[in-house]
Amino acid sequence: MRKRLQLIKEALSIGVVTRKYPFIPAEVPEGFRGLPQFDASKCIGCTACGNVCTPNAITFVDDTSLGIRRLEYYLGRCIFCGRCADVCPTSAITITKEFELASLNDRDLRLVIDIKLIKCQSCGRYFTTFRHLNTVAGKLQEGVVDLVNICPECRRKLALDSLIKLGGLK
Amino acid sequence: MHQLISSFEGLQGKVKGINYLNDGVVLVDTTPNSLFDVVNFITRELKGIFTVIIGVDAREIDGSFHNIYVFSLDELKKYVLVRVMLEGSDPKVPSITPLIKGADWSEREIRDLLGIKFINHPDPRKLIVPESWHDGVFPLRKEVSYKLRAHGPYEPYQPRRSEDVIALPYGPYHPLLHEPEYFELHVKGETVIDIEYRGFHVHRGIEKLGEARLTINQIPFVAERICGICGYVHSVCYCQVIEGAAGIEVPERALYIRSLILEIERIHSHLLWLGVACHVLGFDTGFMHAWRIREPVMHLAELLTGNRKTYGINLVGGVRRDLKEEHIDKVIKVLNEVKEGYTKFINYLTGVREVIKRLEGSGLLPRTEAISYGVVGPVARASALKRDVRVDHPYAAYKDVYFKVPVYNDCDNMARLMVRVEEVFESIDIIKQLLDKLPKGPILAENVEVAEYREGFSAVEAPRGEDVHYVMTGKYSRVYRWKVRAPSYSNIPALKVMLHECPLSDAPLTIASIDPCFSCTDRLIVVDVNTGKRFKVPMRALAKGWRP
Ligand code: SF4
Ligand code: SF4
Repeated sequence: MRKRLQLIKEALSIGVVTRKYPFIPAEVPEGFRGLPQFDASKCIGCTACGNVCTPNAITFVDDTSLGIRRLEYYLGRCIFCGRCADVCPTSAITITKEFELASLNDRDLRLVIDIKLIKCQSCGRYFTTFRHLNTVAGKLQEGVVDLVNICPECRRKLALDSLIKLGGLK
Repeated sequence: MHQLISSFEGLQGKVKGINYLNDGVVLVDTTPNSLFDVVNFITRELKGIFTVIIGVDAREIDGSFHNIYVFSLDELKKYVLVRVMLEGSDPKVPSITPLIKGADWSEREIRDLLGIKFINHPDPRKLIVPESWHDGVFPLRKEVSYKLRAHGPYEPYQPRRSEDVIALPYGPYHPLLHEPEYFELHVKGETVIDIEYRGFHVHRGIEKLGEARLTINQIPFVAERICGICGYVHSVCYCQVIEGAAGIEVPERALYIRSLILEIERIHSHLLWLGVACHVLGFDTGFMHAWRIREPVMHLAELLTGNRKTYGINLVGGVRRDLKEEHIDKVIKVLNEVKEGYTKFINYLTGVREVIKRLEGSGLLPRTEAISYGVVGPVARASALKRDVRVDHPYAAYKDVYFKVPVYNDCDNMARLMVRVEEVFESIDIIKQLLDKLPKGPILAENVEVAEYREGFSAVEAPRGEDVHYVMTGKYSRVYRWKVRAPSYSNIPALKVMLHECPLSDAPLTIASIDPCFSCTDRLIVVDVNTGKRFKVPMRALAKGWRP
């Protein structure tokens, strides 16, 4: 009996611990993994984020009739792991602290980024985005830059041809 | 090491080969005909406790199915994996369930998912796949697409005592419950004489998903979602398996961080259980206080990892998020406060006579039965079995810390409560030791390359007991086979013993005492074997003395 009274005393001294959320906003600490935010102006369409995204929240389609690569992000599938932000080479994705994401409209949960594709100078097929190429070209030495706007397949063929010409391969 | 290998010499000709997968895991090859002798030798001479059977469809590799029987040799600190290769066209093997009760589920699971026949298995019913599943389609076989879904009309589950039972129009898939699982208690008057269990309604085919669609570094994030309370154990266990199979050297600091987060998880999981146990006892004050004490631990997890529950910090080769210097003081401060509040609470709880009376002597699981079912974690430790993966098969940073493993001989619900109560104190202490010794340096291995068709096996002590994972790596940075065995898988079958001859009113508590991912067991069906009547009863009513 005495112990029981003790707990009542204890409970009174602690008071109410339940928070009045959502009437009072809930705080989350620095480093909380919430909504990933995309900066469309920085995205180069390299597809790295889509490759690591476990639940396929980020997907890519190349639309050759419009000549664009479309990044689609669907919040409904996102597990907020933040891996996409880890691997993005241009820091186009940042993980925010935002977590109140419910919406009555499915469209609010979707984000689309369109990036222009570029054609291979040799075979004429779309093979990567314009921005991606620009970024890569910026990092290359002169001489190699000529080969940049040629798709990997044609590049392989060209390389092979030149090898044969040099007599490297018989 | 060699001692163990030479101990197999007595089996002459019956063992085809012995290899070390790594320091703590021995792989023994044998044939289906010699399986009984090898299993008997391991359980009797080496005191091995059955863990799980892993089935692998290895037809692409060597034209056969593999069955791998896992035993834990707690005293020798080793796992023994006994592998038999079965013919690809018609795989069959003698059932070991007559020798080891705990093997029942494993064998039925493999029969359902891989189509391996177990000769003389006592129970022909399905375990995992729904009753209406496609005949002759075994989902874990490689030719079956992971997109295949069950078809056909709903066929109700057939309990074994069907003659006493009225068919149930609307079963365990209650739309409001958190997790559908189905218990059926068979009662004589007010005494339970048997139970039926049908689970796996929410089997998500995670293993198949991992094998079919995910890459090696994506699986930790899915593994973490296997459990809604202690998911981090799965992610750690999976990473350890790959790291072991690929020989990746994980930086010390990462190992410490993993141990630290694992202990935080144990604290919040045990506190959650304690609250729910109080709730089941009809003692809601206790429930609220336990959860009040738990909340700061959740905030701590959020601060350190970025989320309350799905920490998402593991990658193969280490962790993604470092522990910040400025957070260390905060951790210590919160833990001290938790400890203070918790001590007071426990002191109070163990002084409430009604609580103690309900717990003492109920839900008995004798030690011999505990071994036969191969129970794990607090359930084992409350039945006088001193087994704890952290000590028996050390991983992460547990070799560097000192802690007590509480063991009780009473085998009852009280013992299971006390084990968990003490473990919280130990975990707080472990975290402090880890922070004291926390090494500096990198947190992620640089070179993570995984060769194909390597096997790995590892275990982690989850709050509910031993969690084991097995992986055979595949091509292109994928896994060929990923097997998960969560702790409740070993503990739930033992309820048959715990509930035998127990008064009906103790049943919810006893079911709760194994901490079976709790939300599963909210409601149960009571069948009066004398009259065949069935009642649907909420757990709470039962706990408060419901009578048929
Ligand atoms: S946070 Fe994770 S799940 Fe969400 S989009 Fe990024 S990688 Fe995908
Ligand atoms: S990783 Fe970054 S740059 Fe590449 S596609 Fe994704 S958002 Fe764009």
